[in-house]
Amino acid sequence: MSELVNVTIDGVEVQVPKGTLIVEAAKRAGTEIPVFCYHSKLDPVGMCRMCLVTVGTPVRNRETGEFEVDDNGKQVIRFFPKPMTACTTPVSPGMVVITQSEESIADRRGILEFLLTSHPLDCPVCDKGGECSLQDLTYAYGPGVSQFYLEDKHHSPKKEPLGDLIYLDSERCILCARCVRFEDEIAGDPVLAIDNRGRNSKIVSYSNPKFDSKYSGNTTDICPVGALTTRDFRFGARAWELESTPSVCNLCGVGCNTVLNTRFDEIKRVMPRQNEALNEIWLCDKGRFGHHFNGSQNRLTTPLIKKNGQFEAASWDEALALVARKLELSKEKTGGVAGAHLSNEDLYIFQKLFRTVLGSNNIDHRIGLNANWDDQLAFEVGAGVGTDIGRLKSESAILVLGADLDEEAPVLYLRVRGSARRGAHLINAGGRWTKLDNIAEKSLRYRYGAESALAWGLVAAVLDEGLENKDFVAARVDGFEGLIDAMKSFTPTRAAEQSGVSEDDIRAAARTFAKAENGVVLYGLESGGNESLQAAIKTLLLITGHAGSANNGAIAVLPHANSRGAADMGIVPNRLPGYRPVEGEAGLSAHEMLSPDAPLPALYIVAADPAAQSARYKAAIEATEFVVVQDLFMTETAQLADVVLPARGTAERDGSFTSVERWVQAFDNAVSAPALAWADWLAFTALAGKMGASWSYASADGVMAEITQTVPLYAEMNFDNLTRPISLERKMSHYIYSGTSFTADTREGLQWRSVAEASEAKMPVAFIAPADVPPAEGMTLVAPRVLYDGGTLIAQAEVVSAHIQPAHAVISRKDAAQLGITADDSVTLTVPGASVTVPVRLNGLVPQGIVLVPRNLSGFPAEKLLGSKRLTAVKITKVPVAELA
Amino acid sequence: MIKQAFGGTYQIMRGMGVTLKYLFKKPVTNQFPDEPVVVYPRFRGRHVLKRHENGLEKCIGCSLCAAACPTQCIRVEAAENTDENRRSPGERYAAVYEINMLRCIFCGYCEEACPTGAIVLEHDFALAEYDRWDAIYTQDKLLEPHQPKYIQIRDDEVFVPQDTWRVNK
Ligand code: SF4
Ligand code: SF4
Ligand code: SF4
Ligand code: SF4
Ligand code: FES
Repeated sequence: MSELVNVTIDGVEVQVPKGTLIVEAAKRAGTEIPVFCYHSKLDPVGMCRMCLVTVGTPVRNRETGEFEVDDNGKQVIRFFPKPMTACTTPVSPGMVVITQSEESIADRRGILEFLLTSHPLDCPVCDKGGECSLQDLTYAYGPGVSQFYLEDKHHSPKKEPLGDLIYLDSERCILCARCVRFEDEIAGDPVLAIDNRGRNSKIVSYSNPKFDSKYSGNTTDICPVGALTTRDFRFGARAWELESTPSVCNLCGVGCNTVLNTRFDEIKRVMPRQNEALNEIWLCDKGRFGHHFNGSQNRLTTPLIKKNGQFEAASWDEALALVARKLELSKEKTGGVAGAHLSNEDLYIFQKLFRTVLGSNNIDHRIGLNANWDDQLAFEVGAGVGTDIGRLKSESAILVLGADLDEEAPVLYLRVRGSARRGAHLINAGGRWTKLDNIAEKSLRYRYGAESALAWGLVAAVLDEGLENKDFVAARVDGFEGLIDAMKSFTPTRAAEQSGVSEDDIRAAARTFAKAENGVVLYGLESGGNESLQAAIKTLLLITGHAGSANNGAIAVLPHANSRGAADMGIVPNRLPGYRPVEGEAGLSAHEMLSPDAPLPALYIVAADPAAQSARYKAAIEATEFVVVQDLFMTETAQLADVVLPARGTAERDGSFTSVERWVQAFDNAVSAPALAWADWLAFTALAGKMGASWSYASADGVMAEITQTVPLYAEMNFDNLTRPISLERKMSHYIYSGTSFTADTREGLQWRSVAEASEAKMPVAFIAPADVPPAEGMTLVAPRVLYDGGTLIAQAEVVSAHIQPAHAVISRKDAAQLGITADDSVTLTVPGASVTVPVRLNGLVPQGIVLVPRNLSGFPAEKLLGSKRLTAVKITKVPVAELA
Repeated sequence: MIKQAFGGTYQIMRGMGVTLKYLFKKPVTNQFPDEPVVVYPRFRGRHVLKRHENGLEKCIGCSLCAAACPTQCIRVEAAENTDENRRSPGERYAAVYEINMLRCIFCGYCEEACPTGAIVLEHDFALAEYDRWDAIYTQDKLLEPHQPKYIQIRDDEVFVPQDTWRVNK
């Protein structure tokens, strides 16, 4: 606890930590000082002068250094002759602040009057009307009439696109620079600036494309006026007319808390729901604007049965009867693929259907290039309950390994960046430049394929320098001696040779990580996540004592909204819910089920579109005798199906997701679904009923009640707990920020405890030699993930679909120069047995010898080239323009 | 007993006297709708959505009328003007504007809230419909012009200045 100082604000004495700003101290004293430019998430700048207050400090006797007292024994206070900005002045001991002095009241009136001289006052047509700071503060503190002539008002265009998602109305802008500062400080995308000066000052974006940031929507929330509005919500409704339903974003694994604002049964906008432990008050643009798939015209509206190659509408009863009949025949040979967009309840019932009714362990949620990753680390040494990855400070170290957080988990990127800004030691290990390198204390650039070598190198360096946490090792680690022996052959020098990172850097990073009080490892898709890597991360965490407590442990940056939940619920062929191994033989993985050489008799594919991803999968599905697809849209896979069942979107039902940080969070039903669309768990339950089971789940709630009984990890996760209103204590700590007209922090989730936390038992460590060998000669193909994917959902969201790029390859400028390739060219990428032609992009930040082909763009070219490998050597040739045409 | 009989007769005579008196007066019954009904200028009847002189709608779809309405009987959905489809000056217009006349209590709050003087309670009171759903007046019904022939507005209303409203103490 830092030093406390006493200050008196409007006669109320409060104790606050030293260095607290007067605005924040005033909140503790129960006084709200009006602000425009100040925002508790941003650095103070003192631009708007709205927060002027009268400040005095106690007088000290120059000789004795004592506080002077008057005849009544009271401290003598000397007030500063000029008003002070409460948002930039830190408190000092004995400070006296008067917020309601006559001068301050006059100052505020003056400031507001000046602001309004160039403000159009078009509140009736402004999307911010009703939740606007300028409105509120003018009502509270402003003059009723202006002394200036209306004709002298400043005029500028009403609707300028600042980017393709955000409109600027510079008449309304009060130049508080919150938007500029958000992009600079929080997002790390310095794409906005104030142009010109005086009355002509204006917010501009000179980036190309304009306002090139994945977080642009947040500026509309923190803009204290209606100067920035979204294209999405433009004139959608007035703020007070909206109903708000708590939900959870289903577009990536971060699990941002959202509020679905609806009117007349339609989602009008998605707003962040404040959760300081998870997304604070931010959302990425995918989450904010991607919701439109819910209301898409292309939704499936009825069950379909294929007869003579044509789909015909059917009733659920008919469709399920047919499915039941067919699955009776295939029984334990049936295969099930469930996308990780499904809720925990759906996934649980899906595996129950397969394991108890059909007797099959052939279920999986990982397809395509994500198929190789079987993450167990979170279960063993997942970051402790209460980990706050966004508020770590200089006592903590964060190691990011093979993750491009900005693309893979945007809001997690904001949080990690926030910690790095607050002084946490960020080590960003990657095969290429990623945005976190801008702020990382140390960037380790390894050779692709050598991720596990690098991770074991860190372990070796810790051991070599004797930096292990001896107490923790003695208490909690099993097999430490064996590890030392095994690691003799694997020295930091060896790791440096294999990984291409210098030994000094490896040692320095290991030192930073081992010496920090707290340590978190985030590892992402590009790290490969293989067995050796997972073992290395686990060993690193255990020997440095960074396991089993808050702010310590591993976070796997998994790809989908409920990838974590899918692993928890046992949607893998080798594990039951709760990470228990299956009894007997493991089933087939998705990759094996979708094999054209050995097709299964029947497949049940839910919320996944494997046919679009690879020709191999497509061939396998075609070869499968009976295929059921359950989805929102008529996907490529659905077109090949024999029965298609319409499902409900996240907004149309309730359920729960588990985020990559293991937060289990419930979402509510906000809008109604197409009449014949069913929640997935309901469809599985009905099918089980047709096959003789008598399950009686009436709601997602009821399914979760069973999960709490059967899966010990989820024992606490009943809906009563998940939907319990946020605690008063937590609420008090929330900053009430302008941006919503409703309470936006209704509930919080629950985290389950990893093994390291839940028990005191010793955990084994063992050396597994790094397996990946980097492809030797030529160029190496790497398939990163991009945020705006070419998948089923956001392609249906017209507002953001323009951000989905066509498939392409990225190479470094140097390679391009050598190969004679320019930015307008296309290239053919060839591996033995496959080749694709895609347009090329040049990027100076890509290392030489690397071809990046995003894995999740339409056409899935990376998949064609890689098959099930993670990296491959690839031949790149320029396609003559004539040949393309 | 006698007193009672006498009293009763007197009451009957009085009653009949009133009848007799009105028998020779001009009837007040109005032959609606053949004859116009005369209402005061400030009579609050059916709403009309006003237009500017150039024909553009005054309504900007701000929904403030709906917010002010105590019975929640107004529904507004806004949309954006484009050069090809311009309905009102400025950026915003009401794409949907409906008033449920069955719920309206003719309080006039909507008129008071409207920043552009678009919604005005005028003098029409003939709001009967054969179907309940027809009582939801849509935008095309509400928009000007609307001048029912059966209404005449009196021009003799005496305007009482507000400061003289106070009752004598
Ligand atoms: S656009 Fe909004 S946030 Fe940005 S400077 Fe203007 S008022 Fe502030
Ligand atoms: S970061 Fe992920 S969870 Fe959060 S809003 Fe974006 S897509 Fe949704
Ligand atoms: S007159 Fe009163 S009740 Fe009727 S629509 Fe207007 S505000 Fe509502
Ligand atoms: S009638 Fe007036 S108050 Fe109602 S939406 Fe139109 S402009 Fe706004
Ligand atoms: S809030 Fe203090 S100067 Fe703007």
